[in-house]
Amino acid sequence: MENALPSSSVSSTLEPVLALLAYSLTKLETGFYQIPGSAVVARYVKSSHQNDPGRTILEVILIIFAIRTLLQSRTRSDRGGKHYIQFGDKEVDELVDEWTPEPLAQPLTEWEQKELASIPVIAGPNGPKPKLVSTGKTVTNLASYNFTGLAGNEHIKERAVDTLRKYGLGSCGPPGFYGTIDVHMDLEKDIAEFLGAEAAILYSQGYSTVSSVIPAFCKRGDIIVADRGVNYAIQKGIQLSRSTVRWFDHNDLRSLEDALQAVERDRKKRKGPLTRRFIITEGIFERDGEMVDLPKIIELKNKYKYRLILDESISFGTVGRTGRGLTELYNVPASQIDMLVGSVANGLCSSGGFCAGSTIVVEHQRINGTSFVFSASMPALLAVSGSEAITYLRNTPSTLSALQENIRALRAVLEKTEGIAILGHRASPIVHFSLRSVAPASLSPASAATPAGKESFDVDGEERILQEIVEDALANGVMLTRAKYLRKQEMFEPRPTIRIAMTSALTRKEVEKAAGVVKASIARVLSRRR
Amino acid sequence: MALRPSSPASSLFSKKKQPLTTAASYLSAVHEADQHARARSIDRSSSPTPNSTPALSLSSSVTASSEDTVLHEDDESGLNYPWTPPTSEQVFSTVHTEFGHCANESYRCVSQHDYANPVKEKEIEEPPYYILITTYLSYLILICFGHVRDFFGKRFAKKYFTHVMSHKGYAALNSDFDSFYTRRLKARMDDCFSQPITGVAGRTVVTLDRYSTDNNWTQIYTGTKTRVLNISSYNYLGFAQARGGCADAVEESIKRFGISTCGSRLQGGTGELHGVAEALVAKFVGMEDALISSMGFATNSTFIPALVGKGCLVISDELNHASIRTGVRQSGAQVRMFKHNDMENLENLLRDVISQGQPRTHRPWRKILIIVEGLYSMEGTLVNLPRIIELKRKYKFYLFIDEAHSIGALGPHGRGVCDYFGINPRDVDVLMGTFTKSFGAAGGYIAGPKTLIDALRLRGQSGAYAESMPPPVLTQVMASMASIMGVAPPTSQSSKSGVMSTPSSTSTLRLGYIESEEHPCPAPASAIPSWLSLPPHLQDGSEGRTRLRRLAFNSRYLHAGLSKLGFITYGHPFSPIVPLLIFNPGKMSMFARMMRARSTPIVVVVVAYPATPLVTSRVRFCVSAAHTKEDIDVVLRACDEIGDVLDLKHSHGERWAVDEICKRSVELVEGVAAVQAA
Repeated sequence: MENALPSSSVSSTLEPVLALLAYSLTKLETGFYQIPGSAVVARYVKSSHQNDPGRTILEVILIIFAIRTLLQSRTRSDRGGKHYIQFGDKEVDELVDEWTPEPLAQPLTEWEQKELASIPVIAGPNGPKPKLVSTGKTVTNLASYNFTGLAGNEHIKERAVDTLRKYGLGSCGPPGFYGTIDVHMDLEKDIAEFLGAEAAILYSQGYSTVSSVIPAFCKRGDIIVADRGVNYAIQKGIQLSRSTVRWFDHNDLRSLEDALQAVERDRKKRKGPLTRRFIITEGIFERDGEMVDLPKIIELKNKYKYRLILDESISFGTVGRTGRGLTELYNVPASQIDMLVGSVANGLCSSGGFCAGSTIVVEHQRINGTSFVFSASMPALLAVSGSEAITYLRNTPSTLSALQENIRALRAVLEKTEGIAILGHRASPIVHFSLRSVAPASLSPASAATPAGKESFDVDGEERILQEIVEDALANGVMLTRAKYLRKQEMFEPRPTIRIAMTSALTRKEVEKAAGVVKASIARVLSRRR
Repeated sequence: MALRPSSPASSLFSKKKQPLTTAASYLSAVHEADQHARARSIDRSSSPTPNSTPALSLSSSVTASSEDTVLHEDDESGLNYPWTPPTSEQVFSTVHTEFGHCANESYRCVSQHDYANPVKEKEIEEPPYYILITTYLSYLILICFGHVRDFFGKRFAKKYFTHVMSHKGYAALNSDFDSFYTRRLKARMDDCFSQPITGVAGRTVVTLDRYSTDNNWTQIYTGTKTRVLNISSYNYLGFAQARGGCADAVEESIKRFGISTCGSRLQGGTGELHGVAEALVAKFVGMEDALISSMGFATNSTFIPALVGKGCLVISDELNHASIRTGVRQSGAQVRMFKHNDMENLENLLRDVISQGQPRTHRPWRKILIIVEGLYSMEGTLVNLPRIIELKRKYKFYLFIDEAHSIGALGPHGRGVCDYFGINPRDVDVLMGTFTKSFGAAGGYIAGPKTLIDALRLRGQSGAYAESMPPPVLTQVMASMASIMGVAPPTSQSSKSGVMSTPSSTSTLRLGYIESEEHPCPAPASAIPSWLSLPPHLQDGSEGRTRLRRLAFNSRYLHAGLSKLGFITYGHPFSPIVPLLIFNPGKMSMFARMMRARSTPIVVVVVAYPATPLVTSRVRFCVSAAHTKEDIDVVLRACDEIGDVLDLKHSHGERWAVDEICKRSVELVEGVAAVQAA
């Protein structure tokens, strides 16, 4: 420490300033030595100096560099990067003036406007026979997810009102911050017990469940082997997870095994560390109603040591003796499935989704499932409706058999219909059908030129025909819907189909009659086209 | 942990034991209200809707529903009955435990930006150095202990570590590095998180008592319950209610529409209520059209990808919510962040990105979208909207405001930040918000020009894939929203041509939008379904106005009170979110536990890293219109005592004694800055 003593040569005007400086320096020095441990620091600095100014300078530079790194802003800036172009202020102003952004949203095309206008709006309660706002007429509903006929169940409504009077509607908080209501815990327990899983966690929207479950477990560097035909939510979950993905052919377990072997070979060749590996697929596929062979997939997953994320959004509440889903249908214990995702909205006619699994898996999501943590919990009355629906399913297996009977009746009629191909498993509660032949050449000269291969279809042309069928059926009292997708955003473009959602709330006669209407509509539209 | 013995005495006795001098007058008011209720229930019983649980649904008064809304307990805590007698109407329409009765008109305030004399956000104060050093030290100690415990645990207590170790050829389910914080730091104070409740999360809430014998690995429920003062729920306007006009409307809608709409909007799940509610929301926020989604988080995460894509740039505030980040990550757009609320930083960034264009190619951006929140949920800070609008005019970007917390909670008419700053909402491109908070419902909306919203109906993920919003929730949204707006009485024929009566052009998803003359206007009677009848005080909007003004008063009072006590707080004085800085991680859990152990137990939210920066752990109060001035007093007194014990008062400003603060509350609220009359 040097002392800056005022030299006699300095003019008298500067003297007080210098005196103050000297005074403050000595003050600082004594102050410094009063700090406990300061002597050690001083000794260290002195000994490291050791008449070697180069070393001191180096150390000072190092310290400055360290401080600079610490203080650098976290927001990444490519200023000074290789591609950065220096502009003057005026030039920037000019560039700003010149720049014209695209509109925030492209206006709807004519076809899109028609599509938006064609969405049926239901007056009053939804159910097997709702009334439409547009015509005021009652139609048979083959479009809505009301598989076990729980929509409009009087007992559930009563319980919902009771719950409303005790809990109000909204929960007003995320689960972590006083948004966990006892009825949520009850429903979680009910679901876990119903499935035979250790625990379950409740999300407040069915769609956001799986896209949050996947990134909670799959991280960068992990391996996902997934079916090509998985629904959009799974695709988004995979995208968010940033894991390495390998796709296998839709519902083709041989292709899956090939993929698993390829991953194994890859790992052995690279001698990489053991990473988490997941198989992701759906129980019943939302886009075509195919059903996965669960025992076989479990065998594969155990053989290759993968974890299984199974999305039962369609199959939970619709297949099996009491609607427990694929695990009940194939008689596989639910504990075999590491993460079993299902929808309370579809299967139990309420709202929300769940993930069932081991306690560890569930508790992990309570902190890491983004749409669980950062979203308000489900309204209490919807949770109670879910619980009531489970009780209903447990006590009335007859509704599941009625549902299956209706599916058989529907398929029997449609199978006899010309010009369409019925997709999916025969037990699936959603029945998709597509046009059998390639669209007429007049509609799409481009696709007509290509040979009618397995995968070639003309999306726009087929959608138009299917939409005509939907509208014709509606005019005749049956509400249908095309399967809707975000075209060009799906990973693998699905073939256009009409999706029928069967319900146990219709009698067999009514189903047959409605199927007859659909059949007639198909015949009418196709004949008009030819 | 507060384990209050539940008293076997019936509520009838506990009422008699009331120590209040005003008890007699209160009881007479209750009695009067009860007479009303009985008279009404006789009227109602002639209607053909039989009710299995008359005690639950017929009367709205306190006494008739004591079983559910009032625990069998002594009223030592002062939670069940108000200190000052309420007006008769309040007793009739609300339960004090859900929505506090407060008749004093001087405890009101208007939330509005005064450009001449703006209310300043508090400057962020730094704590003394010893606090920072001890905070870092405590984290260091916690981390060291954690690693030591991990080291031995993995060797001697393997059954607790299966998920972080690879076994039988499976890789570990969670990386032990990623989960370290959760296992070793958060787990120590798990008793302060995820506390289960029962009943309404209103002014008070009933918590299920629990304790842990194995360091929070498992929680054991005792089966007893405790009623606590709730200053944690996002119940800004106090619409979390099991009684009153909104709940009555919801009950009616359940009877009419059922629970579910059974499907996505585009695939057989659109009901008539969707269109009506969307038109009302559009009117409320002052936009051309609106779209409702069944989950608040999903509103951001599913619609942002439809707004931007490849070749677009999103400029996002660094403190934006996780749902926004999820949405942006899915969209494939480039992201840049700017310092929280730093407009200079934002402008520099804008000049930079527009002049440079896309990275490497230097092509101009297709579009630039700035995403900010109206009110930041962890900081309580307000976006500098006037400045952003200025920048927007110059730099031609699109503006997306997430009003999850600000809608309903800010502005003289409760229409969010635009209303607060007196800015035309049409100057903003996209307004997004949630119904969870101020409206006591669930889900969210996105509002903007009609072309945009129509595009989102078809091109957003929600339309095709996600379940639509259930009718009871839609009804709660409409009822609470209409009572904030007030319903204009049907005047002439013009309202006939309005929203509900256009069956010719139906079969569309939404119903016709009426061009509003001036923006914050009451809802036309045609904008809500005819069966939805609100009681008069909700119908005319007087109750809504009172709630807005009570919220503004409570927010400002708590802000001012805490800083006069000497605490370091963040946020805007009008923000109902009031973060109080605690810093040390150990004090955080102590604070929460001590608040719960008081004679009037209070539940609070404590937040720490990673939701906040490492050092600035905080407790976050969420003020509600349901709180009375006395409730805020209780909170202030509690903070005062606990703050002394835990050494939390580090602010440099002028300090007052807590009694003085409570006495001069009105002065305090108005004195911080001149408040303009309503």
